[in-house]
Amino acid sequence: MGTVITVSSLTKHYGDRVAVDDMSFDVAAGRVTGFVGPNGAGKSTTMRMMVGLTRPDRGGVRYRGIDYTRLLRPARVVGAVLDARCMHPGRTARMHLRATAALSAIPVRRVDEVLAEVGLGNAADQRAGSFSLGMRQRLALAGALLGEPEVLLLDEPSNGLDPDGIRWLRNSLTAFARAGGTVFVSSHLIGELEMFADDLVVVGGGRLLAAEPVASTLARGHSTVVVRTPQAAELAELLDRRDLEIDAVDVIDQRLSIRGTTTATVSQIAFDHRIHVIEISETSRSLEEILLDMTGATAEYASA
Amino acid sequence: MTITTPSITPSATPHPLALPDRSVGERARRDDVASIPTALRSEWIKLTTLRSNVTILALTPIIGVLLSFILAVFVEIDRDTNKPYNIAETFVFSTWLTTVLAAIAGILLFTSEVQHGTMATVMTAQPARWVTVAAKGVLAACFGLAMGALGMIGGLSGAVLGGLESGDTSEMPAKVLWALLVAALAPILGLGIGMILRHSAAAVSILLVWVFVLENLIRALIPANVHRFLPFSAANGLLGTATGTDTPEMIAAELSRVQDAFLFGGYAAAALAVGTVLLYRRDMT
Repeated sequence: MGTVITVSSLTKHYGDRVAVDDMSFDVAAGRVTGFVGPNGAGKSTTMRMMVGLTRPDRGGVRYRGIDYTRLLRPARVVGAVLDARCMHPGRTARMHLRATAALSAIPVRRVDEVLAEVGLGNAADQRAGSFSLGMRQRLALAGALLGEPEVLLLDEPSNGLDPDGIRWLRNSLTAFARAGGTVFVSSHLIGELEMFADDLVVVGGGRLLAAEPVASTLARGHSTVVVRTPQAAELAELLDRRDLEIDAVDVIDQRLSIRGTTTATVSQIAFDHRIHVIEISETSRSLEEILLDMTGATAEYASA
Repeated sequence: MTITTPSITPSATPHPLALPDRSVGERARRDDVASIPTALRSEWIKLTTLRSNVTILALTPIIGVLLSFILAVFVEIDRDTNKPYNIAETFVFSTWLTTVLAAIAGILLFTSEVQHGTMATVMTAQPARWVTVAAKGVLAACFGLAMGALGMIGGLSGAVLGGLESGDTSEMPAKVLWALLVAALAPILGLGIGMILRHSAAAVSILLVWVFVLENLIRALIPANVHRFLPFSAANGLLGTATGTDTPEMIAAELSRVQDAFLFGGYAAAALAVGTVLLYRRDMT
């Protein structure tokens, strides 16, 4: 299916501050790509440039080779939700969507279809001003789905959603990608993202830090194997000969920890050399911890 | 930390439920022109589905009725001419207020969208920003026309209800047409101001201060042959309504109605043009 979005050399300055610095990455079709980074990393600016709302100083974004601002029917290619509050509080959900549909020559029947799809069928004639943030998120997503787009571009879509809403969103986006659609979604809920994203684009300080499958990011967080054995020193020597990274050896406590390996490897070595193992366990670092490490140095607003 | 190569490996095989590959077309100028009707339809839905617009429209004839009725019943004599008010003159008096109200409606047509973030949705769906400006401009003019017509119907009704004499009605058709032109141009001027300032309260305040304070101050400070070129002096000239403070020099320096029409239309067009340029140059928030 190839690449559907090509971001090349995207750069944006606000005065002296570089919001987005020479960012380039591709987004593959039919996959969910998470867009992550700390606050002020340039995620929202990048996403706004991806739909032509913010003019880049340099570089551009192409959808199947065409610049967003030159797309014939943008709503049929990209459905974007960059701010769930983007609706007039005095207009009903149905009329909000009808106005959006009319602008892109989308048949009016789609309005009721997408309202049902996002679970707002019963609230169609309520004014958006009476909606909770979660309902607004759903209405904004309905607007993005109106044109049956190939790509969904979502900035923090789970903001304001309750746990049931978050699960609904995850299932919807996964189903959208499984049906061949492409999802590019920014989120601070890394644990949530880990459950359904295939790929990650990691940014920090306006720069691209990584663009890779989630599995590759997870592989960056070396797991640690902890072994309890009365022959800790002997096992440490054996592992060292195999260039495994010994984190700590505690002969008195009969404990040994090794980084970047697996229990299978360590137990096999111990078995081959008749080393008595009392206990063996493996701890992995979460995606959140790995990403914090990756972006830590670039975080503009870090906690004390 | 290692920075990897910035590319993502796609899945090896497409999902069995994959959508058929869509052809993504590139827009041409004729596509932009062809999309004006859809933009108009969208603007029409937005205009007619807000209670505030319906309220403004409903207020217009009420203002007309009240103004004419009060003049007919409680004032009776025009202090400037020392003659009794009549229908042929009074029916158009409220158009001045209608014009200001229409300009405010034009401002809100843009600024309320910026305020509520819906302009970003519009710009995302229609990257050719001039199409949106054109659609909003047409809708604004139509809304102004409707306001102007309703205001004059209200004015006429109030004058009749107040029992005024008909007066010389021969100029009424021309007065109606000029008044409709002012009412149609005012929201376009407002739209332009809204596009330049992008803030409802600021734009409406500046408009009101200009109309009711600044322009009157300027009129008092500069010669009549200069202040006749001010925007709302031109609008006044189009409506043919003397303010009572007009001196003989002012009356002598008055422009013709056609000149006033070009002048007021020029202000509206200039505001819209500047707003359009800024719409292209600024990032949409």
